[in-house]
Amino acid sequence: MADAEAGKKIFIQKCAQCHTVEKGGKHKTGPNLWGLFGRKTGQAPGFSYTEANKSKGIIWGEQTLMEYLENPKKYIPGTKMIFAGLKKKSEREDLIEYLKRATSS
Amino acid sequence: MEKREATMSSWNPERKQSSRFRHWPASWRRLTLRLLQWTDSLPLVGWDSHLSRIFFLLLLFVVSAQGVTPNPEACLVSSSVNGSSISCQPPAQIPKSLPADTIFLAVEFFNLTQLPADFLQGVPNLQELHLSSNRLENLSPKFLLPVPQLTVLDLTHNSLTRLPPGLFRVSAALCTLVLKENQLKFLEASWLHGLKALQHLDLSENQLQSLPPGLLENFTDLLTLDLSNNQLQTLPPDLLRGPLNLERLRLEGNRLQVLGERLLAPQPKLRYLFLNDNRLASVAAGAFRGLQKLDMLDLSNNLLTTVPTGLWTSLGKAARNLKDGFDISSNPWICDQNLADLYLWLVANEDKMFFRNHTRCAGPEALKGQMLLAVAESH
Repeated sequence: MADAEAGKKIFIQKCAQCHTVEKGGKHKTGPNLWGLFGRKTGQAPGFSYTEANKSKGIIWGEQTLMEYLENPKKYIPGTKMIFAGLKKKSEREDLIEYLKRATSS
Repeated sequence: MEKREATMSSWNPERKQSSRFRHWPASWRRLTLRLLQWTDSLPLVGWDSHLSRIFFLLLLFVVSAQGVTPNPEACLVSSSVNGSSISCQPPAQIPKSLPADTIFLAVEFFNLTQLPADFLQGVPNLQELHLSSNRLENLSPKFLLPVPQLTVLDLTHNSLTRLPPGLFRVSAALCTLVLKENQLKFLEASWLHGLKALQHLDLSENQLQSLPPGLLENFTDLLTLDLSNNQLQTLPPDLLRGPLNLERLRLEGNRLQVLGERLLAPQPKLRYLFLNDNRLASVAAGAFRGLQKLDMLDLSNNLLTTVPTGLWTSLGKAARNLKDGFDISSNPWICDQNLADLYLWLVANEDKMFFRNHTRCAGPEALKGQMLLAVAESH
């Protein structure tokens, strides 16, 4: 059972250095993630993505995020995101559960 | 080598191609020229060099027109007004030379134990270098001399046991250095000399047992320091002397037993402090004194049974504090009078408490298993 509370901690520890989640949150090294679910890759307005990210062409959802967050550089070769990935399935599930809630109203 | 040079001089891309592509948009023409020059230099053994250039170009334009996943046998190349970005993973081959305007280079998931000596020759504008998931054991001390504008160096998941002296001699522009998941057992402060502008330093997931004094003393701009998942038993008390505005400190997953009075004193503006998954049994009463901007404090999964009076009240003073939360779960708390301060603080800040269900009393016997928050509320 995915734990959004655990996911929030994972986000703060491992993602918040480069990303915000709230509506209107600023872009940092990485894009603000508001509106992520259901959106095509590379579409957060105002962020300068790599060509690789923009042309990946998938829709972000639970399954695509599960794959991506395990090994981002394998999923999007050419990405500039420096993150080795979350090997534990449960951690990815928790993080995705948190992101689902935190990036939409 | 000679054959390639002869080919390059007899086939001047600019002269020939400018007429061939004169009806194309200017940006396409520029891209074409750059790519032709680059493909000219590729080690395309066994192919007719002219055909291979056409192949690469066709491939790239088909790809960019349709937005499909590029051919995995070729390095990804893209071009912007700032310069070229090259990204290579197996089965693509590592190019023997790179476009002169390369600003982004990723060579990842190969089994390289060494880099070619002149690997970065000819790319003076390089800004980002991603070399993760190779098996690099050694770096040449001169390896970064050709790229003084480098801002990002990612060496995650390699086999480095040390860094050569003078590696960062010309790296005054380097902002982000990631050495995560290597085999560093110790560090010498001299290895990092030259990194005047460093903002993000990641040394996590190595085998560091101790840190040298004065490690950060010249890193005035350091914002984040990640030392998580090493084998650190103690920290030099002056570890955080140097940076003027450290924001994030990750120390989780080490073997720290004590949090002393002095460690955090140089960083009153610290915002994120992760001390979870250590062996902390003792925290000094003044350890958090002066932390005015703390947004997140994680002390979970340690050996804390009690805390000294005054520890928590200092956290309550700054109005801003702990906006993101705190976690003291998975500690063997002894729920007696010594926690009176903590109880008051908990009740006032319970909305920011992570994992209440996992924050329980280990003693005394009568309260064993009770939620700390419940005990605090009934106090």
